[in-house]
Amino acid sequence: MEGFLYFSSLKEFLRPGRLLPWIVLAFAAMALGVAWKHLDPNASQAEQYSNVAFILVFRLLALTSAVYTTAIVSQEVEQKTIVYLLTRPVPRWKLLVFRWLASVTAVFIVGAIGAVLLSAGVYGSPSKNDLLTNDLWALFLGACAYGALFLLVSLAFNRAMIICLLFAFGWETSVPNMPGEIYYASIFSHLQSIAQHPSPAQSGPKALQLISGEMNANALSAKTSLPILLILTVVLVAISAWWFTHFEYVPREDAE
Amino acid sequence: MITLTNASRWYGQVIGLNDVTCEIQPGLTALLGMNGAGKSTMLRLITGQIRPTTGSVLIQGQEPFANPEVYKHLGYCPEIDNFYENMTGRQFVQYLARLAGFSATQAKALTIEMLQRVGMADRADKRIKGYSKGMRQRIKLAQAMIHSPEIILLDEPLNGLDPVGRREYIDLLHDLALEGKTIVVSSHILYEVESMTKSILLLHRGRLLATGDLRVIRGLIDKYPHRVRVETDDPRRAAQLLSPLPNVVSLRFDPTGDAIELEVRDPDAFYQALGNFVLDENLPVSAFSSPDNNLESVFQYLVHS
Repeated sequence: MEGFLYFSSLKEFLRPGRLLPWIVLAFAAMALGVAWKHLDPNASQAEQYSNVAFILVFRLLALTSAVYTTAIVSQEVEQKTIVYLLTRPVPRWKLLVFRWLASVTAVFIVGAIGAVLLSAGVYGSPSKNDLLTNDLWALFLGACAYGALFLLVSLAFNRAMIICLLFAFGWETSVPNMPGEIYYASIFSHLQSIAQHPSPAQSGPKALQLISGEMNANALSAKTSLPILLILTVVLVAISAWWFTHFEYVPREDAE
Repeated sequence: MITLTNASRWYGQVIGLNDVTCEIQPGLTALLGMNGAGKSTMLRLITGQIRPTTGSVLIQGQEPFANPEVYKHLGYCPEIDNFYENMTGRQFVQYLARLAGFSATQAKALTIEMLQRVGMADRADKRIKGYSKGMRQRIKLAQAMIHSPEIILLDEPLNGLDPVGRREYIDLLHDLALEGKTIVVSSHILYEVESMTKSILLLHRGRLLATGDLRVIRGLIDKYPHRVRVETDDPRRAAQLLSPLPNVVSLRFDPTGDAIELEVRDPDAFYQALGNFVLDENLPVSAFSSPDNNLESVFQYLVHS
């Protein structure tokens, strides 16, 4: 049952029609990587890669996560197909957790394709990119953390997508740049510390610093960020599972 | 088998179901009520999609809300016409069979069996988005029966079915009832329910108005005057012939000049007499109808009595 829940959801998430826009964006990252070499020819390949990764790939991770995670429950409620799932002899928590795991896998795959294509664009071949392993690890943890957060948001709020997008592009862009230590409250800052990239943007234009979240020095270490993201994920998924088991999910407009 | 005890359900300020107490036994039971009567709310309570605000709902002694044990014994065919549109009918039923806990092989075999039973075997490999309303209803029934549940709840299942399909569907429900299953069918169409079962639960504005044999309720209603409208080119002659009948209580000419409206007791006897006048006296009747012969009048009778 668990395997079926996971793989059937993954199959749906990786449907070509659903995957295509993300693949196009991954190629856009690759094209930007190639272009960056001409825009900033004095920067090292690692710096060029880092700039595009933080501007595009890691930002898209949050967007992808918002799109895929809201599909787990919110989309089923909006499409009114949730009724078929909730009247089956499957514990609700299991339904939620395995569909969430499938969405995390899909988001990671999309992010990984972006990182690999960007590496190919900047380095010529992904195998030449020493930063890629750390990035894949960071992308996986990011998919888990964003997914867990957006899952809870999608269960607790109507119009969850708007909230998720505000978080992804508002909170996650502004908080890492704020003074003090508030950047601890940003998943993006933790991903930066796990990815351990050079920070070329700190000496670059302000706009670039802002977009890549590097206006302030990030004092977080991978050792700190890793447990924080893991604990955050486990706690949020546990709360979501409890929430989904105890609250009603019925398309409201159908209520008589 | 299904027990509701003082079950009420509020949606904010709006009441969906109001203090309903009843037991539903094996066999075919119709849940009858107009749109907004609370039929879907009651089915959602029974299927554990929502919780009662007060009171209790029990299925074989267990609370159904988010209870997988209950869902092993329960099949639900919702009113909504929403599916995973990109799936074929076969994929949809098979997917839900897998979610019911069957292995891939079992799910495949059961899907074939169920699709044959609902008459969809030959169209099962088309995408659902290309299905007619009737085909969608059949696929919904197939998914509800796939795990052979003892209780099957169907919310307005006859919507969109053609007369032949309707007959086949009702026959299938009778077969399931004969197998000892508890079948609950909601409907807002009186004649539909009359052709299906005698056992009804009558809901009106969230309240359970009556339970039992529909024919008994009908008999009670027939004791009170029914309105009958007779359309004719010669209303004066019609009035002359019909007014002396002992079961005619009152008669009124329609302002349009081509119909009369009567109040009659014992409508069956009146219709018999009307037929005789048409045949024996050549009374020109183009149409007749009874505004009381519908669900609204049943409710009005029950509410006012």
